[in-house]
This record gives sequence, structure tokens and C-alpha cells, in this order.
Amino acid sequence: MGFLHRHRGLTPYLLLAPGLVYLTFFFAVPLGFLVHQSLESGNFDIGYSFTWAWGNYSAAIRGYGAQFARSFEYAGIATVLALLFSYPLAYWIAFRGGRWRNLFLLFIVAPFFVTYLIRTLAWETILADQGPVVRILRDVGILGSGGRLLATSVAVVAGLTYNFLPFMALPLYVSLEQMDGRLIEAAQDLYASRWRAFLRVTLPLSLPGVVAGTLLTFIPAAGDFINAQLLGSPGQHMIGNVIQSKFLELIDYPAAASMSFVLMATILLAVALYARAVGTEKLTG
Amino acid sequence: MTDVYTRRQLLERAAAGGAVLTLPGFLAACGGTSSKSGSSSHKLAKTLNFSNWTLYIDVNNKTKRHPSLDQFQKQFGVRVNYTEDINDNATYFGKIQGPLSRGQSIDRDIIVMTDNSRYPSLLIKKGWVEKLDKSAIPNIKNLQPALQHPGWDPNRDYSLPWQSGLTGIAYNDKLTEPILTVPDLLENPKLKGKITLLQGIGDTMPLIMRANGDDPTKVTDASWSRAIKVVEKAVHSGQVRQFTGNDYAPLLAKGDLKACFAWSGDVVQLQADNSHLHWNLPKDGGGIWTDNMLIPNGGNVYTASVYMNYVYEPKVAAEIEDYVNYICPVVGAKQVLLKKDPAIAKNTLIFPTKQMLDNADNIDANALNNEKYITQWQNLITS
Amino acid sequence: MSAVAVRAPQRSNALARAWAFLRHHVLTGYAILAFAYLMLPIGVVIAFSFNHPRGRFNYVWDGFTWNNWRYWDGVPGLRGALVLSIEIGVLASLIATALGTLIALALVRYRFRGRGATNIFIFLPLSTPEIVLGASLLTLFGNRAVANILPLGFATILIAHVMFCISFAVVTVKARLIGFDRHLEEAAMDLGANEWATFTKVTLPLIAPAILASMLLCFAVSVDDFVVTYFNAGPRVTFPIFVWNSARVGAPPQVNVIGSVIFIVAVTGMVANIVWQIRRQRSATA
Repeated sequence: MGFLHRHRGLTPYLLLAPGLVYLTFFFAVPLGFLVHQSLESGNFDIGYSFTWAWGNYSAAIRGYGAQFARSFEYAGIATVLALLFSYPLAYWIAFRGGRWRNLFLLFIVAPFFVTYLIRTLAWETILADQGPVVRILRDVGILGSGGRLLATSVAVVAGLTYNFLPFMALPLYVSLEQMDGRLIEAAQDLYASRWRAFLRVTLPLSLPGVVAGTLLTFIPAAGDFINAQLLGSPGQHMIGNVIQSKFLELIDYPAAASMSFVLMATILLAVALYARAVGTEKLTG
Repeated sequence: MTDVYTRRQLLERAAAGGAVLTLPGFLAACGGTSSKSGSSSHKLAKTLNFSNWTLYIDVNNKTKRHPSLDQFQKQFGVRVNYTEDINDNATYFGKIQGPLSRGQSIDRDIIVMTDNSRYPSLLIKKGWVEKLDKSAIPNIKNLQPALQHPGWDPNRDYSLPWQSGLTGIAYNDKLTEPILTVPDLLENPKLKGKITLLQGIGDTMPLIMRANGDDPTKVTDASWSRAIKVVEKAVHSGQVRQFTGNDYAPLLAKGDLKACFAWSGDVVQLQADNSHLHWNLPKDGGGIWTDNMLIPNGGNVYTASVYMNYVYEPKVAAEIEDYVNYICPVVGAKQVLLKKDPAIAKNTLIFPTKQMLDNADNIDANALNNEKYITQWQNLITS
Repeated sequence: MSAVAVRAPQRSNALARAWAFLRHHVLTGYAILAFAYLMLPIGVVIAFSFNHPRGRFNYVWDGFTWNNWRYWDGVPGLRGALVLSIEIGVLASLIATALGTLIALALVRYRFRGRGATNIFIFLPLSTPEIVLGASLLTLFGNRAVANILPLGFATILIAHVMFCISFAVVTVKARLIGFDRHLEEAAMDLGANEWATFTKVTLPLIAPAILASMLLCFAVSVDDFVVTYFNAGPRVTFPIFVWNSARVGAPPQVNVIGSVIFIVAVTGMVANIVWQIRRQRSATA
């Protein structure tokens, strides 16, 4: 430790080194490989070689624009649904949960304790054409007599919403729970109605939770392929399904790599824009 | 960075929950897998790593063990490490092609691939599979004559059939009138959104082409585009719900599908769950295919060959057949089953008549390797 | 929230009270429904672990049996997959927590050049879709030179899991370190302890709960991971991959048994923990 004493400035770098070197090798470098692969051309039989094939990108966007659009559409809807569903629930737990708040919180986390694939398969059972949900929806006339949920976008969005819900509910809860109850009481005194008090005070204060929850839900949902695979049909395939099948079935690495990269870049861009929009208006205030 | 702040709290909470997850882990006992290198010596390895499709070997319904594998271990002292990790040919090939192309072992001694995909022939062409040790397989004499000389492996130097099957139309009589032809399946408005086709070119196309009056064993550009148009139309009209592999089975059994393209053996198995299911070869003709055992490079040739010889004993083949219900490639198995389980032996889905076999085709291998066709097909089924 | 848009007449006290009651409980009613929705698939998973399929497929309820629980180990390959998942989970959580703790210490304790950039770098894996993480690792491991040293298998799964666990570990440990009283360490140093002694005798015990929490979180994330593993497992089969493979023809009830066991153990532990905390709070206030 004498060495460290003499070179105190070095200590943080020494602490960082192992982890950062690891992440460099197994996170950053692979992304480099991915970009490199995305610029290759050829096919499985003759092999692939690096040719600066920028055409892969335009081909990816042209050929699979629908799947890209669908991914963001489904992820967006699922995120909004998760927000609308979770907010009242998180609010209830934070302000009405009392002593048992942690127990109620457990209900929100509970889905996480059932393996992701298993809980998605359970939805496949619940939403089956001959299952109870479809039967009820048919009886009340929401679905036609031949209507179904499985292999439709409804089922895929429902699956996405459920699977990533805890990512939304937990940050919301955390931001609500931290709120000073006296502040809300004061607001209720100040504003005529509870509703306005909520809009003017509670909601803005919980905005960090909304932002975090939105990102944590949107990002995994946009890249998902499990829900579309198990609950959807080719008409609902998202970009994750295409990437997965190009990589693992068709062995078309350059196309798959360029799509992965486009997906990642779009998400990072969307996140940056979103953070900016929300950040300038509310977060700094 | 307020979002970070809440994120860490989220994680903290999640972590508190994760705390208890470790317990079941430590309760589980240790198992291990052994790896070994390929060898041609005449010594049996301790374990045989066998990758197969799901529900494709005999199972004791109560204990869920595989009796034929247990017997093999008893008889030869070789434990079979049996993995059901093949769901479709393309995905499995995608998984193993990386290591095989680099000359690495894939930790498997036997894998099973279907001859209506391009992969068995591709594996041989690329030199990624070992020759069988035929001296250890005297029972090869029991191979059905019709299966002895496939075009892609004329002398069965690299492959031995595991099971064959027919591709036809299954329907649920509770939900629909009998569906016996391809046009009925693809155009009957009552079936809209309630049918699936199979995702392999070699599975779906023979049936479509036969219905078009074309010969699937000699695919031409014209017959191909006629067939593609038919499928396209059915997809765009919303008639076709999905393209599936094995996964049509649960949909059919639950009643989510009224009818679909299906494999004969699956339906025999499904009928145990749901007696309303029926299966027929379409009137215009269906498909036939064979799943083949292959020894990937690095696999233990001798041990694998000894196992193949074992399953080619009619008694063992019959035992497997009694559960699997596909078409048995082993001559003599039927005689054993006639005594043991006559219902199975007399089931024409398992021991089909000559007329049925004549009315079923395996697809033209050239079509399977045609890049243009592959792309067209892939775009159609993933659109 | 104002789903019931009835205006209560101001004059009637009783009505106003009823309205207040209703409004108060609309939210509670909603919460109950919401919890039911959250638990619904879990209920299905547990119920089907007791299914006694007439045929070979576990997707139509056919009757009750204990057999799936008694023969949980019966499905060949299931135990091996579970063991592999647990081995990977334990190792990944240990390694990732070790690396993550060091990073967290550096980030919280020191002001240094590149701190902001490091913070962002740590969060990047968390904001990258899993499929991109899996795909990019596969392009690395699929590279001929890399693959010759490191064929797809146990090692590549472990490497991938450590990678996406590190960020979780950093975040968890950092949270604890931020609220940590540095005076304790300074006091120890004043009393003559050197840096190493201070670290092992003071710092480490104080952050031990965070380290434990990080390991458990990493373990949970690792055991549940499918996408990244699916890309990089090669011939190995983890529990989620086993589920995926068997799902094509309907997962056997034993998969539901394992799923239920994981759920029940996790929830029982958490409930016990919560009850214990509440008791402690009570006795502290009493």
C-alpha cells in the first residue's frame, strides 16, 4: 500500500482498470466487430469479406422498414400502457400502502421471479382462441365470433406490456414514495381540487420516475423478439425477430449486423432526444 | 441524472428480492458433462451425446425416462446424454456451422437432420460429418429398401434414417368440415386466420405444387413461381395465421387452429390429447421426408455407430416406434409391434400403405439450394 | 382516476361521505384488480405444474397430479440445464460483483479525470437492447481467431453474463457507498490503521450488504437471461434455452414445476424478510 500512498492519484484508475478493461473487451470491442461485420459482403457458401458494403444499411432499412417501424410502434404503445397502468398502482402503494407497502411492492416484482419465457408461455395459454379471455371478449361482442387474440398485434403488445411492467412501476413508486407528504397536503390546501393538486405538484415531482420507467420499458421492448415469436405471427414480427433469424438461421451476418446497429443507433438517438425534451422542460426546473 | 438515481433504487429493490433466489440453486445436485475428441478406435466412450428433435424417442410416461436409452446403457455401459435441442433444421445448422467450419467439435456424437432441407447434403459436401463405421452396424441390413440410396448420400456412408414422416393436412372435426385438399385449406373463408403452413420449403412446397399439378421432384422456375403466388395470396388474404415448425402442435391441440399442414406422427401423438383431430394426405399428393442421424466431426464414430446398430434392432426400433408414431425405417419392427401393440402396427400413419407412399414426394434438392428461391421464401414467411 | 364522474350534491352530507368513500376506494379497487392481473400468469404457471396431461402435451387442463413434482427431474436434460444455469449464475455474480465493486469505489470515492465518461460507459450496456449485446458478442466469438481460443460454450456464456452483470453490480454498490459515512474510515486512519486495514476492517464490512445484494441481483439476472445466452451458448443448454426448445411442442409440466419453485422460494424469502422488518420496526417503536 506504500505505492498507493505515494501515488494517490493513481488509485481510482487502478480500481477501475479490471472492470473497464473487461467492458472494453466484451462490450465495446464486440460492437466494433459488429460494425465491421455490417460492412462485409458475400454469402454463406463463399464466405464473407470486408468491402465497405454500405449498401447493407440501405438494404436493411429498405427491406425491413416495416419491422423497424413495428418495433418502435409496439414498444411505444407498450410503454404508454405500462405507464397508464402502473402510475395509479404505484400511487396507491406509495400513499395508501401503509405499513405493508413492501409487501404490495412484492406483487409488482413478482412476475420477475417467473422465468421470462415461462411467463410469456403462460400468456399464450391465457389468450388462446379457446381460452377464457377470448371467450369472454366474444360473449360481450368485442371480438367477432371468429375473432382471436393470439397471432395479432394485440397479444404481442399485451405481452410486451406485462413483461416489462415492473421496469415501469418500480421507478414510479420510488419517485412517489420519496415525496414529502406535507408538500402534497400543502398543495391540496393551495389548490381547489385534489386533481389539480395532483397535476401541479405530484405529477411534476414524480417525473424523474416517469422518465426512468419509460426508458427502462421502451429499450428492452423495442429489441424484443420473444413476444412476437410466441404470441404473434409473421405479420407481427419485430426487428428483433429478423435479426435473430438472419443471425442464427440464415447465417446472413452482414445484414443482421447492420440491422442490429441501426436498431441500437435509433434507440440511442431516441433516448437522447427524449431526455433532452423532458430534461429542458421539467427536470431542471 | 435523476433517472440514474431512481434506477439505482430500482436495482436495490430488485436486489433485495433477488436475495432469496440462490436457494434452489444450491439444492440442486451437481451434474457434469464430459467432452472427448473424435476417434475411430474401437473402444466405447463413456457417454454418447445425442441431439434430437423434441418428443422423438420413447418415454416412460410416469418417470419421463427413456427406456431404450436406459437399456442401451445397461447393455453397453454407455450413458446417453440425450438433448432435445433441435427444433428446426435451419436454426440447428446455424448453431453448429460456426464451430464445424473452424474444425471444432460441437460436443455431439449424433445429430438428426431432415432430408427435405438442404442441410444433410450440405454437411456432407462441406466435409463436416464423419463416415459411419459400418463394421459396427451389421443391422444396416434392416434398413427399408426404399431408403437405402438417397441422392445426397447414395451408399448411406454418412447417414442412417431415424424416422420418416409424411406431410399432409390435419384438421379438427369439432371446428370444421373435413379439409382434404390444399385449395380448400387455402381458400375456404371459414378457415380464415385458423390455418398454418410449415416454414420449411421442403415441407410446404411439395403439397402446393402437387395441388397445382406440378411435380415437386423436378422444380422449374415456372412451377416455383406458380407455387409462390399461391402461398403469397393465402398469406395476404389473412388466411394463413403463421408459418410454423413443430409449434403448430399446441395450437392444433388447443383448438386455436381449425386445420394446418402437419406431420403424420405429430398428429398420431396429438390424437391422444384431442380425439377430434384427423390427418390425411391431400388428394393431390403430400410430402414425405426422412430424418437422418449424422455424426458431426469430432464425434465418437465407433460409439455412435454402435448406438445406430442398437436402434436398428427390430425390437428396439419397435419400442421407440411405439411411442414416436412416425414411420419406422427398420424392417421387422412392424412384426414385433403386431404382437406387442397391434393398434400401432395397423395404423397406416405409422406403417403407411404403398399407395400412400406413392402419393407423397420429397422435394427437388436443387430447389432447396437455389439462393433465389430461398430468399423469396424467407421474405414471404417473415413478412 | 376520476372514473366515477358523479358530482356529489353539496348539501347531502351522507352522499358526500359516500362519494368520498367511493373515491377513496376506486383506487383501492383498481389496485386489487391490478394485482390480480399481475398474478394471473403466475397462477397459470403454478396450476399447470399440477396438470396431468392425457396425452403428451401440457397445454390443456386434463386433471390433477402430484407426479410432476415427484418426478421433477424426470425430463432428460432439465437437470443439466438447471445446473448449468446455476453454475453460470454463481460465477458471473461473483466476478461481476468483484469488478463492479472496484468501479463503484473509484466512482464514489475519487474525483478524477474521465469520471463522467466512465459513468456513461457503465450505463451503456444497460441501455443497449439485449439482442444487440448478444449479436455483437457473437460476432466477436464467431471471429476465427477468437473462436480458436474460445469456442462457444461455458466460457462464452460466462463472459457474456459477467459483461451485462457488471453494470448492475456498479449501480447497486454505488447506491450504498453514496450514503456511507466517511468519518468512520477517517477515524480508523487516525487511530493508526493503514489504508488496507481500514478497507478490510471498516469499509468492507459496511458495504457487505451492498455486495451481497449485488451478487443476488446479478445471479437473478443471469439465471433468467435468454437472449444473450441464446446467441452465445453454442452447444450448451441453460434453463431458459431448455424452456425455449421444449416450448415448440409444449413445455413439459416439469418446466412449470421449476418455474414455480423459483417463484415460491423467492417470494417466501421476501415475505419473511418484510414481515421481519415490520416486526422489528414495531418493537423499536414500542
